[in-house]
Amino acid sequence: MSDATILLLVASFLNALILSSMYILLGLGFTFLFNIMGILNFAHGVIYMIGAYICFILATTVGMNPWLAMLISVIAMGLFGIALERFVFRPFLGDINLIIVVCIGIITVLKNAVSVSQTYNVQMTPPFVQGTIKVGIVSLSRERLVIFFIGVALLILVLLFINKTKQGLQMRAVAQDKEGAILQGINVNFISALACVIACALAAVAGSLMGSYLTVNPYMGDDIMIKVLEILVLGGIGSINGVLFAGLIVGVMDAFLPIVVSGTQTQAIMMFVIVIILLFKPQGLFGKEVRV
Amino acid sequence: MGLITATRDLMKRRKNITQIFIFGALICLLAFVPLITNSPYNLHIFILTLIYIIAAASLRFIITSGQIPLAHGAFMGLGAYVSGVLSKHFGVTPWITLIVAALVAMCIGTLISFPFARLKAFYYSMISLFFGVGMLQAIESMGKLTGGITGITAIPTLFSSASKVPYYYCFLALTLISLFILYRFEVSRIGWNLKAIDQSYLVAGSVGISVVKYRVLAVAVGCFFAGLAGGMYATYNVTVSPVSFDMTATLWLIIYVTIGGMGNFAGPIIGTLVLFLLPKYYSGLKQYTPFISAAILFLVLYTFRNGLASIPGLVVSFYKKRRKVKTRIDNS
Repeated sequence: MSDATILLLVASFLNALILSSMYILLGLGFTFLFNIMGILNFAHGVIYMIGAYICFILATTVGMNPWLAMLISVIAMGLFGIALERFVFRPFLGDINLIIVVCIGIITVLKNAVSVSQTYNVQMTPPFVQGTIKVGIVSLSRERLVIFFIGVALLILVLLFINKTKQGLQMRAVAQDKEGAILQGINVNFISALACVIACALAAVAGSLMGSYLTVNPYMGDDIMIKVLEILVLGGIGSINGVLFAGLIVGVMDAFLPIVVSGTQTQAIMMFVIVIILLFKPQGLFGKEVRV
Repeated sequence: MGLITATRDLMKRRKNITQIFIFGALICLLAFVPLITNSPYNLHIFILTLIYIIAAASLRFIITSGQIPLAHGAFMGLGAYVSGVLSKHFGVTPWITLIVAALVAMCIGTLISFPFARLKAFYYSMISLFFGVGMLQAIESMGKLTGGITGITAIPTLFSSASKVPYYYCFLALTLISLFILYRFEVSRIGWNLKAIDQSYLVAGSVGISVVKYRVLAVAVGCFFAGLAGGMYATYNVTVSPVSFDMTATLWLIIYVTIGGMGNFAGPIIGTLVLFLLPKYYSGLKQYTPFISAAILFLVLYTFRNGLASIPGLVVSFYKKRRKVKTRIDNS
C-alpha cells in the first residue's frame, strides 16, 4: 500500500467514527422522545441546525470563545426543548399523524427564519482546538480527535444517566408503561420535559461540533435528519442498541462509499439498501413489534 | 307532522339546488378569470394553484386510507422528469408525455406500494420518505439525461403562443376532470372501504375488505395524479430541477392538505387556494410568506383541527343544535 492510500483510509476511518458518533447523538435524542412521549420529532434536524447557528453567530459576530458559545447554545436549546414540550407536543399527544404535521410547521418556521436572516456563503464555526498531531506518517487534526472524544464521552454519559440515575430509571419506567409509571407516583410531564431538554441539548452539541467540522448552512438539518431517520429505521425505532449499531453502519458507509462513487450516487445507493433491508425486516435490526 | 316533513324535504332540495348553484357559479367565475385579470403574473399564480390543487387532492386521497406518504413531491418530480426527458430528448409531443408521466408515476407507485402496504403508520411515512429522497437522488445522478443538479431546461411547451391564457383553460379543464374522478372514487365503495381501513385495519380486514389491495389502489390513484401534476408543471414551467421536488415540496403539500382539512374533499382545494392567493395581498412581505403560512397552519391546528373546510359544517351544526333546543323549549 502506498502512503496516499494509507492516509486516505485513516482519514476515512476517522471520518466514519466522527459521523457515527454525531448521528448516534441525534438518534438517541430522537429515541428518547419516541420512547417516552410516543412522538416522532421530525423537527430534530432543524433543532440541530439552530444549535449550530447559535454557536456560529456567538463565535464569529459576537466574538466569543467557541467553547462558551457552544455552552450557551446548548442551554438555549434546552430551554427551547421545555417550550417545545409544553406548547407544541403536549396538546397533540396521542395522534401520531398530527404530530408529524406539527413538526412540519416547526421545520418551516425555523428553517425560513434562518434562511431569511442569514447569508448563503460557505461559512464555518471557528475551530475549537487548533493544530495537528503526527502519528508516524499520518497527521491528524486535533479538532477531529476532540470532536470524536466529546461525542463518545457524551454517549457514555447518556447511557450511564439512563441506567444508573433515578431520573433515568423513571424515564425507562415511563417508556415501558405510562399508566403504571403514573400509578407509581412518577411525574410524567416532568419526565417528558426532561427527555425534550436532553434531546434538544444533544442536538445542539452535535450541531455546534459539526458546524466547525463541516459548514453551517440553513439546509444542514435536512440532510442529517434523513441520515438519522435511516439509522432509526434500520436499528428499529425505540431501541437504543439499534441506534448504536445502525449509527456505526451508516457512518462507515457514509465515509467510505464516496471513495468509490460520487456523492449523490452514495445517497441513492444507501437509500435503496435500507429500503431493501426493511422489506425483509420491517421492524429494523433490533426493533420489537410495532405498537400502533 | 306532515307539514314538518314537507318543509324538511323542501329545505333539503333547496340545499341541493344551492350547492349546484354555488358550484356552477364557481366554475363560471374560474372561467372568467383571464378576462378579469390581464396581468400575466396573476395568471401564472392561478396556473400554479391549479397544478398544486391536483397534487394536494391526490395526496389527500392516499391519506384517507390512513397512511401519510412523504414521497408525494418526489412522485410529482418523477412525472415532471419523465415528461421533460421524453419531450426534450425523444421529441414526443407534450400532450402524450403528460399521460406517459402520469402512467410511469402510477406504475412505480404501485410497484413499491405492494411491499410497503404491510408497514404501519409511521414506518410507512419514513420508508416512503427514504424512497422519495432516493428516487430523486437517483434521477439527479443520471447526469446527461436529467442534467444533474441544474435539471432540464428548454422543455418543449404545450402551446406555441407566449400567452398564458390557453394554459389556464387547458389546466382548468384537467384540474376539474381530475377532481371529478377523485370525487367519484371518494364517494364510491372504494372510498368508503379506504375510510374503514383508516379507522381500523383489523376490523376492516375482518369484514372482508382486502387491506393490501385497497391501500395499493389508493397509492396507485394518488401517484397517477401526482405524475400528471408533475408533467403539467414541466410543460408549463419549461425548466425542471430537483430542488422543486425535494422533501420541502412534499412538506408543503402536506401543509396545504392540513390547512384545508384532511377529512374533507374540499380541504386540499381550499388549503392550496388560501396559501397561493393570500400572498398576493401582502406583496411587501413576500419573503415572510413561509412564516405567515406556518402561522396559519398552527392557528388551524390549535383551533379547528379538522381544517378550514370544516368551519361551515361546525357553524351549521351549532345553529341546528340551538334550534333543536329552542323547539324543545317551545314544545314544553
